[in-house]
Order: sequence, then structure tokens, then C-alpha cells
Amino acid sequence: MSYIQTITPALLQGAIISLELFALTLIFSLPLGLPIALGENSKLSPLRWFCKVYVLVFRGTPLMLQLFFFYYFFPICLNIRMDAFPTAVITFALNYAAYFAEIYRGGIKSIDAGQYEAAHSLGLSRSQTLFGIILPQTFRIVIPPISNEIIVLVKDTALASAIALADIMKVSKSIVNRDGSLMAYVIAAAMYLAFSFLATCVMERLEKKTSLYDGKEA
Amino acid sequence: MALLEMKNIVKDFAGCRALDDVSLSVEKGETVAIIGPSGSGKSTLLRCINALTRISRGSIALNGEVFVDSENGQVQNRSGQPEAVYPSEKELKRICCETGMVFQHFNLFPHMNCLKNITYAPVKVKGVNPADAEARGLELLKLVGLPDKRNEFPGRLSGGQKQRVAIARALAMEPEIMLFDEPTSALDPEITGEVLNVMKTLSARNTTMVVVTHEMGFAREVADRVVFMNKGKIVEEGTPEEIFEHPKSERLQEFLSSMLQVKK
Repeated sequence: MSYIQTITPALLQGAIISLELFALTLIFSLPLGLPIALGENSKLSPLRWFCKVYVLVFRGTPLMLQLFFFYYFFPICLNIRMDAFPTAVITFALNYAAYFAEIYRGGIKSIDAGQYEAAHSLGLSRSQTLFGIILPQTFRIVIPPISNEIIVLVKDTALASAIALADIMKVSKSIVNRDGSLMAYVIAAAMYLAFSFLATCVMERLEKKTSLYDGKEA
Repeated sequence: MALLEMKNIVKDFAGCRALDDVSLSVEKGETVAIIGPSGSGKSTLLRCINALTRISRGSIALNGEVFVDSENGQVQNRSGQPEAVYPSEKELKRICCETGMVFQHFNLFPHMNCLKNITYAPVKVKGVNPADAEARGLELLKLVGLPDKRNEFPGRLSGGQKQRVAIARALAMEPEIMLFDEPTSALDPEITGEVLNVMKTLSARNTTMVVVTHEMGFAREVADRVVFMNKGKIVEEGTPEEIFEHPKSERLQEFLSSMLQVKK
């Protein structure tokens, strides 16, 4: 018992880093995914292709590789000194934005053509239709797949330990290496599990709240 | 001068001619019913009026203003089909606002309650002040017999109620002409009446209406003029009496007798 007490503070320190990475990734990637999704449907072909290639690259290569790439990219190519934490935030945000973009795109696509026709008939402009009619419905539709992605993100933050970020994973690994006891891993697992569970609960509440107008189709 | 004047409309979809030289004019205050078998081009014709479907050739004038005319030259669309030249999106929206459309599948906005469905467009498009729009919206809900549903979301209404809200939504824009695209086809037979009654009220108030319908009873009783379409052409048009009691063409006689058989 006293062993657990001695290693817990260090692990909690790591947990704060993990949670910060998690939160900042969401704050940047959730909004960033939207313009990418809209760009993928754009009539301007350069913009459309840029967004498509963006998604292809960030979804099609390992997140771990992207982390290493950016870790060295900033100092080597741009001559900017960048710590592990901002590097991790930038990489995670760019990577998750690609996934969120695809979720948004699917959500937008699933809106019935009749909604566009009704909006046209009422004289709504393109942007009024998009922001007033289409996106509000899209957000409700995408909550379940977004929740799924958020749970994945909770666990993916562990990858940042590869660029020496002192997150839960990194801290627990060094404790296990030092003490030869697996207890640190057990506590780390419990922490990840608790965060995932918490995220699930929050998303479920959000889902319930927004299903106010549920019925069948309109 | 006719409120709506459609001349020599041709609409080609890839490889098939949906409308073949159709001309239709509608006078102010008139109720016109368009009947005909499935695939005869009724809905396509209706959708051309508010540019949901773009015509290939011909001209359409609303309220004396020609907004599309193939005389202005033609362009080819992506699939190489000829397409008449339309004005800019903005200009088109302004003209289309003079029409109100009611769809077969209602197409209410599911994330807005009934009142918001009705007031959204007047506030956003016409800049009506929200309080006035709401007052007008409540009046319209009363007109369609749903004064207590203002806060209900569409998902919790029956089909007939949804369609009545959809009618109120279209009326809120105060259009010159109301277009109905098979408004009762998605409804259970016993609740079509509540929607038809609202339409009857509108017709009696001299609302200009074009109604694509399979409800022969409604066409006969309410319409001032009935248009029978087949294979993309108008085959016959006349008063309900002329169409239903003295059909001239063989195709119309055939169509009417098949409709009667279904009814029995």
C-alpha cells in the first residue's frame, strides 16, 4: 500500500500532461476538421484536392511516425526550437482533424436532399442553408462517431511518450524499469480506463441532450 | 397577364426527355391541378417553376418577369446536355421567393420546433422582425389547425400534422403562388383529408395554387382547371367537368378508368 502511495504523485503528474494533451488536441482538431470537410466538398478543385490529400496523408500514415517527423521537422527544417509538448499537440491536432473531417463529411452527406430543396424553396442562401439547416443536423448525427474517436484519443495520447513527453505512459514505464514492479502499469491502466469512462459518460449525456427533437425522419 | 407563364419547356435528363414542349400558364387566384400517371413529368414541371429543376429549353415568367429564357443562348451542362441560362444565384433566389413549395415528404427542419420552422425563412431571408414573424407564424398555425403545436418538434407530429406545418411554412414567405408536389401521397388515406381541407381553404381564399396530385376527388372538387400529362406532354386541359366527365383523348379515358378501379 505504501508503495502505491509513493508512486502515485508522479503518475498523477503524468496524468495532468496526458489530459492537457487530450484537451488541447480536441480544442484544435474538432473545429479544424470542419473547414477540411467543407473543402473536400468544394467546387474549387485546388481546395478540394488539397483537403483530400491532407486527409489521405494524415489518415494514411502512422501517428507515431508523424510525431517523430514533426519532432525533428521544426528544429531541422524551420530552425525553431520546439518542446515535446507543443510538438505533440500540433501533431495530434493535425492528425485528429483528418479523422474528424471524414466524420463531418459523412454526416453532411447523410442529410436528406429534401432539406436542401426546402431551403432553396424558402429562398435561403447557401451559407444560411449550411449553417442554419445542414450543420445543426450534422452535429447531432456525428456525436456517436465523434465519441468513439475521442475514446481512441484518450489512449492514443500514450504515443506521445515516444518523443519523451512525461505523460502517464512515460512515467509508468520509467517507474516499472526502476522498481521492477508492475504496479505502476496497473495504476496507469486504471487511469486510462477512468478517463475513457468519464469521456463516455460526457458524450452520452451530450447525445441525450441533443436528441431532444428525435423522432423518426422529419 | 398570367401570374405564371411557362412556354415551350423542354427538360432533358441524361438520355430521356422528361418534358417535351410543355406550355402552361396560371392566372392569379387560380387553382390548377396536374394529374397523370407516374413518370409523366408532373413533378418535374412543378419543380421547374421554382428552379429546383433547371430546364433545358423554353422560358418561364413569374409575375411578368422572365427569369429564364433559352433565347438568351444556351450552355451545356457537365453531362453535355443543353441547359437554358439562369440568372445569378442571388437573383434566382429573389424570384423563387415568390413561390412556396410543399413537398411529398414534408422536408420540415427536424432540429427546429414548428414555430421556428415557419419563422426561420421570413426572418433570415426577408428580414422580418422576429416578433412579427412569430405573430404571423402563430396565425398560420391557427389557419392550418395546429395552434397548440408551436413548441413541438416535427419528429413528434403525425404525417398530416407535418404536412400542415409545411404548408404554413411555405405561406409564411407570402408567396404569389403555392406549389404542391403530391402533398398527400406519403400520408395514410384516412388523414389525407386534414391536409386537403387546408388546401381547400386556401383555394377558397383565392390563393394561386398549382397542385400535382393523385387525389382525383380533390382535383374535381377544388381545381379551377385540370391539366392531364402523359409522357412529358400536356395531353388535355380543361375544367374539372371537361376532364372528368368528357375526357377526349383515349389516354385520359384509360387513366381515369384505372384510377376508378383502384378506388373500388
